Amino acid sequence: MKTNKIIPFILIIVIGLYPSFLKAQESEEKPTLSLNLKYFNNNNTTHHLQVQAKSKIDGKFQMIAQIPVQFYITNDSNKNNLLGSGVTNEKGEAVILIPSTAKVQWLKSPNQNFLVVAASTKKFDEGRTELAITKAKLKIDTADGRVINAQIIALVDTTWTPISAVDVIVGVKRHGGILNANETATYASDSLGFVMAEFQREAIPGDAKGDIVIIASVIDNDVYGNLTSEMIVPWGAKSVYTTNYNHRSLFARRGYTPIWLELLAYGIVVAVWSVIIYLLFQIMQLKKLGIE
Amino acid sequence: MEKLAENKIIEDLLPQKFGKQGTIWVISLIAVCALGAFAYARQLYYGLGVTALRDYVSWGIYISNFVFFVAISLVGSLITAVLRLTDVHWSTPLTRIAEIIAVSAISFAGLIIIVDMGRPDRFYNLFIHGRLQSPIIWDVIVITTYLFISLLLLYFPLLPDLKILIKYKERNGKWLQKLYEFLGSFWKNTPAQFKITDKAINILSITIIPVAFAIHTVTSWLFATTYRPGWDSTNFGAYFISGAFLVGSGGVLIAMYVFRTHYKLEKYITNDHFDKMGKVVVLLALIYLYFNVNEFLVPAFKMKKSEEEHFMGLFTGEFAMVFWFAISTAMLIPILILIFKQGRKPKAAFVAGILVVVGSWFKRYLIVTPTLLHPFLPMSDAPENYKHYFPTWEEWAIAGGSLAGALLIVTLFARIFPIIPIHETIIETESHENK
Repeated sequence: MKTNKIIPFILIIVIGLYPSFLKAQESEEKPTLSLNLKYFNNNNTTHHLQVQAKSKIDGKFQMIAQIPVQFYITNDSNKNNLLGSGVTNEKGEAVILIPSTAKVQWLKSPNQNFLVVAASTKKFDEGRTELAITKAKLKIDTADGRVINAQIIALVDTTWTPISAVDVIVGVKRHGGILNANETATYASDSLGFVMAEFQREAIPGDAKGDIVIIASVIDNDVYGNLTSEMIVPWGAKSVYTTNYNHRSLFARRGYTPIWLELLAYGIVVAVWSVIIYLLFQIMQLKKLGIE
Repeated sequence: MEKLAENKIIEDLLPQKFGKQGTIWVISLIAVCALGAFAYARQLYYGLGVTALRDYVSWGIYISNFVFFVAISLVGSLITAVLRLTDVHWSTPLTRIAEIIAVSAISFAGLIIIVDMGRPDRFYNLFIHGRLQSPIIWDVIVITTYLFISLLLLYFPLLPDLKILIKYKERNGKWLQKLYEFLGSFWKNTPAQFKITDKAINILSITIIPVAFAIHTVTSWLFATTYRPGWDSTNFGAYFISGAFLVGSGGVLIAMYVFRTHYKLEKYITNDHFDKMGKVVVLLALIYLYFNVNEFLVPAFKMKKSEEEHFMGLFTGEFAMVFWFAISTAMLIPILILIFKQGRKPKAAFVAGILVVVGSWFKRYLIVTPTLLHPFLPMSDAPENYKHYFPTWEEWAIAGGSLAGALLIVTLFARIFPIIPIHETIIETESHENK
């Protein structure tokens, strides 16, 4: 009888504690951190790497901020290959410019590997990912009749060689994005690595001289990464800067009151205060009469 | 009015010393003012953080109080100017009451604006950097102008009374005698002096009407030129002025009853005055009610999505109790009381006057606060306490202190000067007897 009383008691404790035990086990399992490394070549002058950290939380991919990352040239996380380190921002991104100190390693081969390592945190285990690219350049030029030419070339052994069948976007830089030069969204490079796009954006706003920035871009190419090349051309409409800052208006700053309002307001103030001052003089007149 | 000898009139209308009740009243007012001053000292020391004013409601009861003071001050122009110019003589005993209410209210309207400023030491910037296009600048100009005109309108008719007061040297005491002599020793009752004062009073009566309309129209434009639910109205000027005349008249009803009862002035502020003033209040309440119907019914009929929250908050929501209280006490109940002859008897009219003034104060609160809580573009990530407003004790104390201050000015004025014009009463009595 005594044993019979104890068993239900133990069962209640075990059943009661089991969910919290499971929960404790679950909390020990950290979610997997996914890293996506990208290479960028801007105007054939600056090169940078960007990593994006994300993880599947509650069934959805979410960008992970505050992840410390280290970038390496080659696949080896030797400290001699360290390009630099960073911390992911609220978009889960961290960026590093490839420094000139990496030049010796960079020049060794036409292909280049990169490695990014995310340090272990309280929420995530250490993560790493690699990227292999073939060094390439994207050139941009213009031809008569507002035509944009772009050519993609890649380093094969020691020779820069034209590359065919690479998708290139050609357009004009506009509001932080690229507005296509015409109705065609992308062009595939020909056997000489060229794409040719007729610029059909008439009267696009340029700067004061009518200058606009045309751009050719290869985006997220598996072999060459992200390449862009820009050029300034005088094909835009001249922008004339207009401002109401120095104009008289109801919403203007002090000293720029509309003349009609100044006349009206000061007129009323002068008229009413003239009456008040006149009446003050009348009080003096009353005093004078009283003394007489 | 009964036939009254000149001396009897003077004896009745000369300022009287405070009795026991009067002394308690004055001490109470000073105590409330002192509490307000202490609260303001705390606000100056700790900043506007001691108030409940935040990013949403940045005006609160200070500006409600300001609008209330400006509104009640308009009664000076109504009683003194409008009725004088239209040759209405029954209002003569009420002119000084109306004018002192106007002066005290407009003085505290100016002060309460400074109280609303977090850094009053920077007030001069309004003049250095102010824009003529801003209604705030117009408000400063027009309030100052209205104060000066009201003071002059108080002073010119007071001159013949000062001569009478100066005669009672022993009764006055040293300090008051000096004050009377400083203000009016030059007055000799000569025809030339009367000619000047009559002309001056006529000029002031004409001048004060557009200035009074300007003062409250400009105050309404502080709101109407801001694009917000409840303020986005083309009718705000007329709406404000009609409400101002109503609250001012309600204030006069209260003052009439208090002075009549306390100073035993039944022969001068008669039942007939209450009857006529009651009719004026009914008319003004009906006009204000008409503007309220326009201000609320028409937008409610359209019920634009962006304004829905504001209007529903007033009609059935967070502010419904205050809204219906204000509409009932400021307009509906006073109309129901004063529309009947019995309701225009002194006591009933006094109750109606209190209802009008109290309801009108809350009406100003409703003009300012609910709109500030419902902007067209709500702020993102605003803390929860920013989305509601209830004044702190400091705000109540300062607002109460300002109201007590205005009442104190009226009380002290009545102690120092005749609250009913003595000379005008004598003249009117004589002309009445000669008819």
